[in-house]
Amino acid sequence: MRKVHPRGRTRLVAGLAVAGIALAGLTACSGDDDKSATPDPTKGGGESAAAEIGVDDGTELTMWTRAPLEAQATRLVKAYNASHKNQVKLEIIPNDDMESKVGGAAANGELPDLLAGDVVRVPYWVDNGLFTEITDEIGSLPFKDDISSGHIDAGTVDGAMHTLPFVQDISVMVWNKDLYREAGLDPEAGPTTMAEFKEQAQAVADLKKDGVSGTYYGGNCGGCLVFTWFPSIWASGEEVLSADGTESLLASDAAKELYGIYADLNKSGAIGAGSKEETGATWVAPFQGGNVGVMQYPNTVVAAAIEAGIDVGVGPIPGVDGGTSTFLGGDAMGISKDSKNVEQAWNYLAWMVSEETQLEVVAKAGDVVSRNSLLENEFTKSDPVAAVAAEAIPNGRTPVAAYFAEAFNASGSPFVTMIRNATFEATNTVDADNDAVTEILSQ
Amino acid sequence: MSRLAQGLTRTPFYVLTGGLAVIFLYPIIWTAISSVSAQPGSNQVSGFGFGNYETVVNYQAGLWTYLGNSLVISATAVVVTLVASTFGGYAFARFSFPGKNVLFLLTLAILMVPYATLLIPLMTWLKAIHLNNSLIGVGLVLAVFQLPFATFMMRISFEAVPKEMEEAALVDGCGSFGALRRVLLFAVKPGLITVGLFAFLAAWNDFMVPLFLVGGDNQPLPLAMVNMRQQVMGVIDYGATQAGVVILTVPCIFLFLVLQRHYVNGFMSGALKG
Amino acid sequence: MTLTQQSPPAAAGASSTPPRRPRKASAKRSLRAWAYASPTAALVLVFFVIPVVLVFFMSGADWPLLAGNKGVNMPDNYTDVVDHRLFWPAIWFTLKYTVIATVLLIGLGLGLAFLVQEASRWRAFLRTTFLLPTALGLASASLLFYAMYSPQVGPIAPLLDKLGLTEGVVSPLGTPTGALWSTVILIVWRFAGFYMLLLLVGLQSIPGEVYEAARIDGASRSQMFRSITIPLLRPSLALSTIMCVTGSLLAFDQFYILTKGGPDSSTMTVVQLVYNLAFESKRDLGMAAALSVIVLLALVVINVVQLRALQGSDDGTGAKKKGVKR
Repeated sequence: MRKVHPRGRTRLVAGLAVAGIALAGLTACSGDDDKSATPDPTKGGGESAAAEIGVDDGTELTMWTRAPLEAQATRLVKAYNASHKNQVKLEIIPNDDMESKVGGAAANGELPDLLAGDVVRVPYWVDNGLFTEITDEIGSLPFKDDISSGHIDAGTVDGAMHTLPFVQDISVMVWNKDLYREAGLDPEAGPTTMAEFKEQAQAVADLKKDGVSGTYYGGNCGGCLVFTWFPSIWASGEEVLSADGTESLLASDAAKELYGIYADLNKSGAIGAGSKEETGATWVAPFQGGNVGVMQYPNTVVAAAIEAGIDVGVGPIPGVDGGTSTFLGGDAMGISKDSKNVEQAWNYLAWMVSEETQLEVVAKAGDVVSRNSLLENEFTKSDPVAAVAAEAIPNGRTPVAAYFAEAFNASGSPFVTMIRNATFEATNTVDADNDAVTEILSQ
Repeated sequence: MSRLAQGLTRTPFYVLTGGLAVIFLYPIIWTAISSVSAQPGSNQVSGFGFGNYETVVNYQAGLWTYLGNSLVISATAVVVTLVASTFGGYAFARFSFPGKNVLFLLTLAILMVPYATLLIPLMTWLKAIHLNNSLIGVGLVLAVFQLPFATFMMRISFEAVPKEMEEAALVDGCGSFGALRRVLLFAVKPGLITVGLFAFLAAWNDFMVPLFLVGGDNQPLPLAMVNMRQQVMGVIDYGATQAGVVILTVPCIFLFLVLQRHYVNGFMSGALKG
Repeated sequence: MTLTQQSPPAAAGASSTPPRRPRKASAKRSLRAWAYASPTAALVLVFFVIPVVLVFFMSGADWPLLAGNKGVNMPDNYTDVVDHRLFWPAIWFTLKYTVIATVLLIGLGLGLAFLVQEASRWRAFLRTTFLLPTALGLASASLLFYAMYSPQVGPIAPLLDKLGLTEGVVSPLGTPTGALWSTVILIVWRFAGFYMLLLLVGLQSIPGEVYEAARIDGASRSQMFRSITIPLLRPSLALSTIMCVTGSLLAFDQFYILTKGGPDSSTMTVVQLVYNLAFESKRDLGMAAALSVIVLLALVVINVVQLRALQGSDDGTGAKKKGVKR
């Protein structure tokens, strides 16, 4: 006890001194394993060959990604570590706490070398200078025009590029073939318009089977709604956001028609129990349990549904009167502002988008590749999802707005309120609700 | 209040309390059973089995790493909480000194700050004092969050000890420290065990503080658990979550049952008098 | 605790020594007391006071989450927070939740404590049973209940449907009232045993002789409860009430996991709003810190009032509390 007193005091005095320094905004000494041999990481410093493939000298690189992409991230990191001197150390962050963890680390200069984030959040991160610019490096890649553009665009500000595609996640339409057969529908023909979607969902609901519903959606989950409903609006030839991302265009005729379809299905009782309060946590479970006729779905979960014994039909998401589109979701990755190993980190990024990696690591595991010319490959021949993906991706989009998360994804966002009003409560307030979304986007 | 129970005839009493017991036990039993049952979207899609536990054991760095980290964090938190609250509680209960009330209120005020806000300043601050990304640092912070409860508890415990006990020790020539060590610690054992137990439970189960303050291989089990349950688009793997809850809870329940013998007996000696 | 504040110094000092002593000895005693209190003081200072000072500092600054300190902008953060559309609804909901949770938890905790305080095998089993949920982390418990409430995997939704309480198998979290009570049930399940234990410790510290004496004086059971149990239980009751009120006012994890503040922001608590402002919607640490400071000050006031109230009614029973505290 006597010992505790003086020790407490010394730490205190030392602490107070350092507190002053911290308050002054000095963030010293991060990156303990900083190799002094590493060349100064200014861009374009190396020769063109080095710019293309970076440096592989046995540096330890840190990488953060959110929990949902753990499987994909682990596969990539394992393959890289097995074939390179550099070693990537992967850290998984809980999905809901990604923003807070990144924010805290950014303030302290403790961001990892490689940082991946949800593609809709990336523009805000780039705006705030979280990434190192890699325009020249990307430009040096011989296949740069073949890389799917959504994830690069999300990280581009005034022509300066910061990110590459890390994991692709797209939305597709799935239906339960067994339920379709029971309902007298053609199990091989999914909806090609949203009107057909409504009919087919209604037909399954009319089976009146216990626990089975026509369709299901994340009625309290902004992220799910964005991911699954925006494609229908795009496919109908409308936009969801103005080009600069400051105005919401979700009160268009096509959008209202889409909401109307769901409002009608709600009225007729074709929507699955739990939709209204679905925050996303159990969003894909009812279909996996064989209890939903037809719904929009993340392509990354289709395999799990098949594994769970569901006879799954897969198609692209249609517009109100036809056409197809998809949401180019998933995560983009860049080199953080705090990285002391930019050239080594670039070595990883360049390897990640290379043809061999995309085929042998990404496609082999059944994921969607980030290179347009590789969309159809030896691994996708027998895979119905991959064929649909290849068809939908060229029409696919990624919405870009600095305040996207606040307007759409955040709990209680005005977008969620708008959809709930339009589809559950039928309040006819789409125009006013849409203005509330714009208000957030244009701040 | 034994009369209250006696007032009731036996059978309704057992029915009532038995019903209560079932209500309290049901969620835990349900979870334990679900964790080995088949569920869509988990590693156990048909029949009974330990597929979900396999998911947990093999996740990322592996269960043993996470368990080890959790142990270091919890041990630090328990030791620091016990030492600080025992000495502190003793000082508050038996001494009057300048600044006593200020310090006590300040300690209680820890309860009153939303910890979500404290975490970012703590991140900066711990880095400044070189406790960032350290399990000890997390243990210290968790101990501080336990201090209001622990100090209060120990203060009450010391206040409840008859002064005569301490006086006898002092007359025997012990200093106040000797009296504390030889006599009082024994008298406040139930309080100590309660404080230690709850410090352990809080530290063992917390994921928010480690999320902000450590990274890489220093993650504790609950943080790994939170990561594990999340799949694409916010989907939860209920099977793995339930298996994780069971793994997290088993040591806690074990401690409860083992320690019960000590602290409940301590209670009961006084109970029948009432 | 602060109850001691008002007692005469001689009693509070509780020294083994005769009341009058040379000044030197009392200074030495203060020093020794501080030595005992020093680990607490050091921890509080380093891990609490300094971060809180930082929070105050942030609350007066323009401090976006990702961009860092952009300079002083007092009092913009405070006015922005008070003008936020969810500010008053969040406060109102938090207060409502706090009243419900505190009444239920303290009432039930006391009831359970009486139920299990005697020594018998059955009661020991009950005690363990009631305490078991305390072993789960709040986050784990919230997840567990989230699964139980889920219409897909949990047993609760079908049960409510069978009882005719809901139309069809829907999650009880779907309506504002349902979400509130579902969360309250989780909290009661998780914490009732904890408050039972706290109050049990208090009950155990009441000397049996006091009851004995009262019984000899011919006091009835309700009289004994009112004039012995409750007054002598006051320190434990004070601790329980303060922890429960404060904990409920700062409720976060349970709502964060179960409802995310929904449906339609109806279950948004103040701390959730802090988190939302800091990391989800505004991503503005300045505003979040300002709201935290408001919460902190409100809690200090509320707790001072609580302490006053709890010790004010204490005075009439001064003679009886001797056994418990001085």
